[in-house]
Amino acid sequence: MTRSTTRNALIALAALVVLLALPHLGGGEKLADYIIFAAAWGLLATGLNLLIGYTGLISFGHAMFFASGAYSFGAIMQAQIMPVPLAIVAALIITGAIAALIGAICVRLSEIYFAFLTLAFQMFFHSILLSWVDVTGGDNGLLGGIPTPVFFGVDLNQPEHLYAFCVTVTVLAMYLMHRIVSSPFGFTLRMIRDNERRAIFLGVNVFAVKLTCFVLSAVFSSVGGIILALFISGAYPDFAFWTTSGEAIFMVMLGGLTNFFGPILGALILTGLNDIVVTYTDHYGLFLGGIILLFSLGLRKGVLDFVKPGGRKSTPAQPTADAKEATHADA
Amino acid sequence: MTNHKLNTGRRRFLKTGAATAMALSAPAILRAEGTGAIRVGMPTILSGVVSILGESSVAGAKLVFDEFNASGGLDGRKIELITRDSRAKPEEAAKAVRDLVNGDGCNIILDAEASSGSFAVQEVIKSIGALCLHTVSEATPLSADPALHAPTAFRSARQGIHDAIGGGAYAAAVAKEKGLKRWATCSPDYAYGRTTTAEFMEYAKYFNSDIEVIGQAWPKLFQPDYTEVITRILQWRPDALYSALWGGDLVSFIDQANLYALFDQTETFSVNLGDYPVLTAVEQLPNGMRSGSRYNKVVPNTPENNAFYDAYVAKFGTLPTNWSWENATAATFVIEALKDVGTDDPVKLAEAIRGRTIASPFGVDGTLTMRAEDHTLTGYAVGYGVTTAEEPFMKDFHTSSWEQILELEADWKKRQGFA
Repeated sequence: MTRSTTRNALIALAALVVLLALPHLGGGEKLADYIIFAAAWGLLATGLNLLIGYTGLISFGHAMFFASGAYSFGAIMQAQIMPVPLAIVAALIITGAIAALIGAICVRLSEIYFAFLTLAFQMFFHSILLSWVDVTGGDNGLLGGIPTPVFFGVDLNQPEHLYAFCVTVTVLAMYLMHRIVSSPFGFTLRMIRDNERRAIFLGVNVFAVKLTCFVLSAVFSSVGGIILALFISGAYPDFAFWTTSGEAIFMVMLGGLTNFFGPILGALILTGLNDIVVTYTDHYGLFLGGIILLFSLGLRKGVLDFVKPGGRKSTPAQPTADAKEATHADA
Repeated sequence: MTNHKLNTGRRRFLKTGAATAMALSAPAILRAEGTGAIRVGMPTILSGVVSILGESSVAGAKLVFDEFNASGGLDGRKIELITRDSRAKPEEAAKAVRDLVNGDGCNIILDAEASSGSFAVQEVIKSIGALCLHTVSEATPLSADPALHAPTAFRSARQGIHDAIGGGAYAAAVAKEKGLKRWATCSPDYAYGRTTTAEFMEYAKYFNSDIEVIGQAWPKLFQPDYTEVITRILQWRPDALYSALWGGDLVSFIDQANLYALFDQTETFSVNLGDYPVLTAVEQLPNGMRSGSRYNKVVPNTPENNAFYDAYVAKFGTLPTNWSWENATAATFVIEALKDVGTDDPVKLAEAIRGRTIASPFGVDGTLTMRAEDHTLTGYAVGYGVTTAEEPFMKDFHTSSWEQILELEADWKKRQGFA
């Protein structure tokens, strides 16, 4: 284990401790609810950013994986055939299989063609959720709640246990994603993003790398779906609708796509704004739209896009530090 | 020097943060402890194409709560209605309920969500145990399916199966009288539209075995153009047409079908037509369409119902809707239970509401009952009338027999495995 790996593991552990302590320091269940909700969206956005920010592939269909995680997990738990941890693993495998199938078709394309094909698959998936009533519950979603029997002393019906479980899973998923983007595989993704032809000339199997990234991105996004399904004890077709993908893309743009923590910051900001706006006014669209407009016109890029390692401000023209590292590594 | 600057910055940051936190939390603390109000939360849809659902739901509940507050409240404690816009998203509805209970201290929830949102809310209620009255969702399983049962959750809205039985009996009688054998349907392509249509036709056939469905059209929800659907129905040449379209979709369908004189060629039964926003939005309301009961000043035609209509119009300047009376009913149940138990403890309130009968302008016999066995409302006006172009837009209203509805509902529940 290298020094940076140990340091990152310790940081993740410290983050987990802080998150576990937060509701007890003030805010209580409301704060815990907010963190769980933002964590679910944050994982969707961070998973999506593996494609957008690191590989240069803009997927408009990632909500389908968010939904597939939620539905697979919910349906397995309703069938009462396995405990929670195994059901989560099974849901991730199902999502990974779906993503491999769809990704094998989509990653052959790029730019707008890739974006629209993912959108098309998402709408197809959404239609299946609506039509396959016996399994998915159709418009009404998975009815009857998601039973969560106790495992290893963890009772997810208890709010404290649910919170601790959700933040632990979130931190673990974030840590794994960080390991991935910091690995040679992560640098290869950036190289493909910056100059795909160069990567091909250097002998990189671009299709395989893109497909692997697509599957990993889908699997991590589906963890977000599982957390949301646990939180609201249900899964709904709305999870797979194109507006959900749109919100995830906006979170990425809002938080910053060149920084690993940008998307989760975007999720925290957007869900926080959402909470404030619906609490103090009924004119949701007007206020949130105005705030988003200010962000878009005022910042023109994500919040963390302004921050570079070492505290210096970045400029759009500069290549990212990671891209430089990748170039050096490959050279 | 650098350290000093950093320290100053950190102190300033902490001070600013603490001050901001105090400023943000102060209103909530004042609201929670200063007034001693009884807080009632309402997740609903206040934006988008069906915002009228939320607006009229809020108005219906507010009318009753304001009157209660004006008369002194519960030993001086006023009821405060707190609303949250879910934007018709089930996950937002679920989170809104958790926020209202955990953050705003609401022990009572009036769930004015459409069907999928109401199922999400029901699951939250199961886990947090607040008192909940579903005030909009007509999806039958919500209260009929024992697997979904929550001890503190009730429904003060119509129930789909009640309207289906009442409407089916009425349609069968009209069909016998006029010889309407060939039927077509045109309903929105989602769970509500398909379930409601299937149940209506099932009971129409049950009461009149001559009825035959020759074609079914399923336009998409919020579809703007119905030309293709209308021409297809005309090609089928049905004797009668049933539709579960609602709101703006129904208005668009009628306006466009008028151009093809569809309603001159077929007897039309529309369960959701008889609501004021629809009746007043249609450009040329055809005479003689058959409409299910939603809300109407003359159904039932009693001084109490007329007074509700007048008070609503005077207070809000708009006409009441089906959602208005359903929320007003929920508010009345809450108030009656509060008066009984003197506290907003959800379990005690639920005990007080279970099986309770209240005096109500919307009851066929002047009362409404919250049935104990499945926590659903009975005794409201079910039936069909004939539309007219002028106020009150409805004549010859036939009120369905609750004896018949309850008998067939019990049989239906057995067949579904719900009883």
